[in-house]
Amino acid sequence: MRVTKGAQIVTATALLALAVAACGGSSDNTSTNSSTAAGGGAAGAVRVEIAEPQHDLIPGNTTETSGAEVLNALFVGLVDYDADKKPYNRVAESIESPDSTTWTIKLKDGYKWHNGEPVVAQNFVDSWNFTANGANAQEGNYFFGSIVGYDEMNPGEGKTPTATSLSGLKVVDDKTFTVQLKNPFSGFPTMLGYTAFYPLPKAAFESEGKLKADYGSNPVGNGPFKMSKAWKRGTDQTISTVRNEDFKEGKAKVDAVDFKIYTDLATAFNDLRAGNLDIMDQLPAEAIATAKTEFGDRYIEQPSSGIGYIGFPIESGANYAKSADVRKAISMAIDRKTITETVFSGTRVPADDFISPVVSGYRQGACGEACTYDPAKAKALFQQAGGDKMDEIVIGYNGDGGHKEWIEAIANNLRTNLGAKVTPKPVEKFATILDDLGAKKWPGAFRMAWIMDYPSPENYLRPIFGSGGSSNYSGYKSKEFDDLLTQGDAAKSIDEGIQFYQKADDLLLKELPYIPVYFYQTNGAYSQHVKNVKIDPFERVDLFTVEKA
Amino acid sequence: MGRYVLRRLLQAIPVLLGTTFLIFAIVYALPGDPLQALAGEKRVDPVFAAAMREQFHLNEPLLVRYGYYLRDILSGDFGTTFRGLPVSTIFEGKFQVTFKLSMTALVFEAVIGVGLGFWAALRRGKWEDKAVLAFTLLLVSIPTLVSGFVLQLLLGVKLKLGTGIAFFPVAGVQDGLRSYLLPGFVLATVSIAYLTRLTRTSLMETLRADYVRTAVAKGMPKSRVLGRHALRNSLIPMVTYLGADLGTLMGGAVITETIFNLPGIGQQLFQSVYLQENPVVVGIVTVLVLIYIVANLVVDMLYAVLDPRIRYE
Repeated sequence: MRVTKGAQIVTATALLALAVAACGGSSDNTSTNSSTAAGGGAAGAVRVEIAEPQHDLIPGNTTETSGAEVLNALFVGLVDYDADKKPYNRVAESIESPDSTTWTIKLKDGYKWHNGEPVVAQNFVDSWNFTANGANAQEGNYFFGSIVGYDEMNPGEGKTPTATSLSGLKVVDDKTFTVQLKNPFSGFPTMLGYTAFYPLPKAAFESEGKLKADYGSNPVGNGPFKMSKAWKRGTDQTISTVRNEDFKEGKAKVDAVDFKIYTDLATAFNDLRAGNLDIMDQLPAEAIATAKTEFGDRYIEQPSSGIGYIGFPIESGANYAKSADVRKAISMAIDRKTITETVFSGTRVPADDFISPVVSGYRQGACGEACTYDPAKAKALFQQAGGDKMDEIVIGYNGDGGHKEWIEAIANNLRTNLGAKVTPKPVEKFATILDDLGAKKWPGAFRMAWIMDYPSPENYLRPIFGSGGSSNYSGYKSKEFDDLLTQGDAAKSIDEGIQFYQKADDLLLKELPYIPVYFYQTNGAYSQHVKNVKIDPFERVDLFTVEKA
Repeated sequence: MGRYVLRRLLQAIPVLLGTTFLIFAIVYALPGDPLQALAGEKRVDPVFAAAMREQFHLNEPLLVRYGYYLRDILSGDFGTTFRGLPVSTIFEGKFQVTFKLSMTALVFEAVIGVGLGFWAALRRGKWEDKAVLAFTLLLVSIPTLVSGFVLQLLLGVKLKLGTGIAFFPVAGVQDGLRSYLLPGFVLATVSIAYLTRLTRTSLMETLRADYVRTAVAKGMPKSRVLGRHALRNSLIPMVTYLGADLGTLMGGAVITETIFNLPGIGQQLFQSVYLQENPVVVGIVTVLVLIYIVANLVVDMLYAVLDPRIRYE
């Protein structure tokens, strides 16, 4: 998934960088008056904060959290994720494969589109073909890269595609279809709960492979809620949905949900306190302390899928970037606890693995000594590795995303604890650093972050550290690592696969091409009007189970 | 008069062409790959990027892209954002929000600014005058960012009137005019201070003019002296200021719009500059330039109304 809420939130972040915690602490209670919804949507609707979805409401074109939040209410996918972050079947009756390459997916009876038609296998195939077609410029396109036929549809820039559908998808009957993967992948079912894999109804298409222009403003879905009126992107500040009375799994507990669009989290938080909003799944950092005292047990804190790193170009970089011992010394000299608590006000927690706590396969403390703050040992290791005679350490970051503070804090850690010369280097946009890294022109360290696409440990390893990985900026290349991933992919079950992924993870922890610094947290809060609010690993609120208090 | 207006409007055409090209070139010259910025932290998906580059002519040189842009404009297509939002939608939806906000601010500015300045000038040197001066100093020294959040918290969250619901909405435009009162005031604060001081100085100067003394000497009622002679003659600098300020308010509302969650053009402009969405930036700026031109024209016309000696041929 692309980074949370994308560039849109940049406006707010830039402003917040200027703001001096403008809405400071107060221990008053919020409005105790249960009032009707203040305008915008149906009276009594549950009101949920989102940023403006970046595109119209089309599953394949939605890779940010706000659009995904809305689509999660309108659609259900083949699988969903339980409390242990493992997939369980929803629309799917079974997802099976003898060899982790050819998957047979059977659908349950009884799921219906909002227009009354049954959900059939063809709906999934139509949807996936549409998204996988490069000519449609869908942001979720890359999710289908592992399916046979993708390369024929997307031959690369300047070449003409020889196919307009995925040859690896075959409809067997109304309730069954098969998926042929290019390579075995035992974790394939974990991908299927994500927004990009939702089906699309016949009603969405104008002709074969062509979506109706207005579908995305008023999508017909198959989920527990349906649109109550069309949403005009760029103008309407509320997306209104009502309960789908005909949902197979039963009725949702609330009649209606309004998604209210905010550009600034501080503003949304004030609206929550004023009683004009019910659920926020992301709080502004400066409001965390207030929220904890004011909301008490209506304050939510849980791990989210993001990881923040300090990365190194270990092949093409400066001498300190190339030395594994120096990287370890740097890692040990970073006071993660203080940084997460003070700089981030508790919206991050110290990282201790390359795999996030939101996926099964995470091991607490896996990083061990290397991620434990120990200035004395760090300095000894640094000098032993000759770090004190090496170049000045440069840490690049983008100046537009609120990263200055923590990078400066790390630089101070390194100066004090290692006696190293450190220069934090701001760059106007992250894209600039990525361009330079791609061209092997960036010698120094750099900040980096990752948010998962699907809850499998594999997603935290291959794209970032595998040879030829789509986001491999460190230049890390290890045959042993790649082999372990391949073995994990070919494993018989998800659990068996995890063991191989963890071994691969261990190799990284020894090498440290990136230094894991912090895990992101989900900090949310909800009003007294609602209860039973749960947030999933994709930072989506489970609106099906939310109740009125 | 008619010919004068026509000439002024014709002069606007080269100004518009010049500004659009300048803005287009400046946005074009921004460093970094806009599609990468769109993708955030990850490397942009090459398939997606290729399709986008094709669609938005991103691989073409500056002049070719500008040419495409002009061609589309002439055929009535104002372009879209990278995320497929037509610029025309931005015009009809977002501009009216910003326009309403600016107009509210302008009304606050005119009423409070002129009123306070007038009062202070009449009470010159007395405590009322000093209080007004101190108040304006306070307004000038509080940035919009602070006054916005503070007033939002005090009036939107804390202040409850009987019913338990705050009178001023915290955010959004769903309450009609009421939604614009607080943000309009916040946006106007700094300008109110300037205008108060301008009115005060200007009026005090006029009050000392010979013709005012003559009017008083021949026994004209005080209200008539002030209204017909003093105020009217001191209005020119204020009208000039208000006219120029309309453009500033429209283009500079980004912070206020963010704090009060008003879906106006400030936000859009900021984001589009960041993503180098040329058609959007140029489109918005063009309209802003037009507003400046028209506002200036109206101001010049008003000069003639206020001072009969001024004639345009």
